[in-house]
This record gives sequence, C-alpha cells and structure tokens, in this order.
Amino acid sequence: MPTLNMNNIIRGGKMFSKIFTISKFTIIESMRNRLLWLSLLVVAISFGLVEFIGELAITEHRVTQVAVLAAFLRISAVIIVTMFVVSSTLRELQDKTLEMILAMPIPRGSYYLGKLTGFIQVSIIIAIIFSAMLLLYASADQVLIWGISLFFELVLVVALGLVMLFTFNQIPAAITGVFIIYAASRSVTSVYLMSKYPIISHDTISQKFMDGFVELLTWVLPDLHRFTQTEWLAHGTGSFNLLMPVIGQTLIYLALLSAIALFDFYRKNF
Amino acid sequence: MIRHFTEKERPVRDVPLAVIVMLVVSLAIQLIWHSQQQPVKAKAEDLPRPMSSGAYVMASFGEPMAAAKVLNLWLQAFDNQPGISIPLHSLDYAVVTEWLDTILELDPAGHYPMLVAARVYGSVSDREKQRMMMDYIFSKFNEDPNKHWRWLAHGVITAKHELKDMELALKYADALAEKATGENVPYWARDMKIIVLEDMGEVEAAKILVGGLIASGKINDPYELNFLQNKIHSLEEKLTKIQQDVDK
Repeated sequence: MPTLNMNNIIRGGKMFSKIFTISKFTIIESMRNRLLWLSLLVVAISFGLVEFIGELAITEHRVTQVAVLAAFLRISAVIIVTMFVVSSTLRELQDKTLEMILAMPIPRGSYYLGKLTGFIQVSIIIAIIFSAMLLLYASADQVLIWGISLFFELVLVVALGLVMLFTFNQIPAAITGVFIIYAASRSVTSVYLMSKYPIISHDTISQKFMDGFVELLTWVLPDLHRFTQTEWLAHGTGSFNLLMPVIGQTLIYLALLSAIALFDFYRKNF
Repeated sequence: MIRHFTEKERPVRDVPLAVIVMLVVSLAIQLIWHSQQQPVKAKAEDLPRPMSSGAYVMASFGEPMAAAKVLNLWLQAFDNQPGISIPLHSLDYAVVTEWLDTILELDPAGHYPMLVAARVYGSVSDREKQRMMMDYIFSKFNEDPNKHWRWLAHGVITAKHELKDMELALKYADALAEKATGENVPYWARDMKIIVLEDMGEVEAAKILVGGLIASGKINDPYELNFLQNKIHSLEEKLTKIQQDVDK
C-alpha cells in the first residue's frame, strides 16, 4: 500500500508539473503578444480620458473621474482578457499545437487546468496594473477591494471564454457568446426586478413565460452585479466583507464552467 | 473503432466520470448558492446631478442632439426604476431643472424639456414643486419669449386653476402680452391678460386694456379684432351690472 501511495504522489507531482508547464507557456505567450504593453496603453488612454473629463465636470470632479475610469478599466480588462483567451487557445487549435500536446502523455484535464491557471495569472497582472492606475483617484483600501473583485470577475471571464471556445470553435461566435453572457450576468438582476414588479402588470401567457425565463436566468447565471462596483471607489462604501460572496460565487461558478468546458473538451475529436 | 475517430464528437461515455460528477455537483451547488442569497430588493436611487453638456457631447461621440434625446428619455423614465416606481414630486426639483438646462444646451431647438417641465413635472400635486417648475418656465420664457410662449401660456392656466394664485397668473399673462410679440404667437396667448384681469374682478382694467389694444392699431387680424370687440361689449355689460348692484 505505501508503494501505491508513493506512485500516486509521483503521478500527482507529474500532473502538476504538466499543468505548471502549460500555464508557464501561456504566460510567455501573453508577453510575446504584447499583452502587458496593451494593458499599459489602455491605462495611458484612460488617464488622458479621465483628466479631460475632470476638466469638464463642474462639480463632484473626483467622483466623476473615478466613476468613468473604473467603468472604463473594468470593461477594458474584460475585453482584453476575453480576446486573449479566445484568440490564443483557438490559435493552438488551428495550428495543430493542441493535437501535438494531446499526442503526448498529457490528459485533457491537465491541458485545460494548465491553460486556466495560465490565464488566471495573466488576469492577476491585468488586475494589478489597472488597480494601480486607480490609486491616483481613490483610497488605497477601496482600490484593493475593487482590484480583488476585478480579479475574480476576470477569473470567471477566463473560464467562460474557454467554455465558449470549446463550444463554438470560432473567434466571432466565442467572443459574442462571452459578451452576451457577461452582459446578461451583470444586468439580469435589474431585468428580474423589472419583470417581478412591473409598472403595468400583465397576465398574458407570453408575459408569464418571459418572467419565468428571466427568473431561471437569475438561477443559472453568476451574480456579477455584486462584483467590482464603481460606487466602492466613488463613495468609499467597499468593505472586505463584500468580497466573501464574490469569492464564493467565483469558486462555485468556476467549478461549473470548468465542468462544462471539460465535458465538451473530452467529447471533441481532433 | 474507425467511426470513433472520424466522428466530430466522441460519445458521452468518453468523458471521465469525475467530470460528469463535477458538472452535476457544481450545478447543484450553484442552484443552492442562489437560493441562499438574500432576495434582491428594489432600491430607489436619487436623481444625480448632470455633468456638463460638453461631457455628454464627448460621450455621444459628437452627437449632442442624440445625447439630448437619450437624456430626455432617461430623465422622463427616472421615476420608473427597476422594480420600483417613485412619485415625481419626490424628485429633487432643483436637480431636475439642472437636467432640463443641460438637455436644452445640448439641443437648443428642442421643446421636449419645456414640455416635460410644463406637463409632467409641473403637473404634480405638490404646489411648491409646481411653483418651482412654473418659475423655471418663466425664466426660460424671458430668455426667448417668442420660442417659449406656449409653455408660459400653460403656466398661466396652471397658476390660475391649480395654484389658485391670480397674481402669479397675471404676472405670467402680463409677460406674455409684453414680450411675446412675434408673428408666430397667436392672439389668444397675448390676450390671456384680459381674461385673468376679468377673473380677478378687475373689469375696468380689462376693458381699458382691450380698448388700448384695439386703439394701438397693432392688431390686424380680423378674428382677433372681432374677439376684442366682443370682449369690450361683454365687459361693458359686466361693468353696468356691477354699477347697478352698487346703486341698489
């Protein structure tokens, strides 16, 4: 029995080493793709934009700046991460690199986890760069809370990107899919409230169907409206307690998205 | 065996059991997680102050008119927030007028902000807020009387019938008669002062005003002249009746 345990440990160690290698090359690829420079360029553009907006605002100068900057950086981070995840993985698929990797003794699960952890590390870098920019306009503790939340939001975007990629195998369809689900996750709560408490109530079957569909969406989509809120920075209302549901939701939804991605990935023939 | 590799998709049995278990378990946890969250409640938000009009021009990529129209709709629907409907009179009217000013700056030719000022925000049950909106309309009228005369005419009616403030109605009607002199302004708007004076019991003053208008020679429209002559006639009858009552 001890021999068997040792074998498991060795096998586990090898698996981690494979995951680590794949994630390392994912990070190297991000550097070669000038992702760091792109992030710095976005930061420079946002700085110019926000300083210009600061000149226009007649009152609440700093709040206006931080609100515009935070929204701009959040959406930019989501776009950059989505584009990178989808384009980089699809390139491996089309260049037959993936087939070469899978021809080696590497389980599909290890490849997926390697890519996932690599992209998550890239997300950490982007979250740090973008949060650092916000330090110019908001207090450090609020920026820290916002930055941590942005990182968890990006983790879900990474996992969502991989799911869409394995499902559609096409850049336009995968990116559109990510943005639709992302936008729905951020706004579904408002849509739900509007459907639950309508200004003019209807009892038609179509209305009931739509209400039921919207409620179903709230159950299966992540609660992204709790993530990375601009008002934390603008009004200093963020607290570390608010991060608990963010972390909880990220872990659960990451597991769900990973299961979906792996299910699809294991069924693919190359 | 060959089919296994030529098919685009492998059968579900090729998926490791652990992945299927993970899929089912994580979906179940997501549903449990959602059921454990506090239910979302509708929360009314205060109307924020507008940014400068330049900011909206920039945000609309140099389309100020489009920005004005979008802001019109947004402001108009602000009382209907997701899941909640707040009464119009609970809005901060000082901020509302700032929004209306911003929208007018973006689209100076538009009438939408003045219409909502008169008919939407000026029709609430809160008399103080109604007055604020009428004052706003009056200030805008003073900036361009021939453009905004119709909204001040609405203000005369509101002051007379809803605010029951005849002095205010007379002030607005007087401004209409004095400043709204463009050809596009119909005579009924300029002649509102006569009706207000008559309603206030100032029949003599109304009669003098009508006589003065006819004598000035500025009125060429036969319908308006006819209306004014009929008005003089009815005012004379009223005056005679008043004098008879006094003599008795």
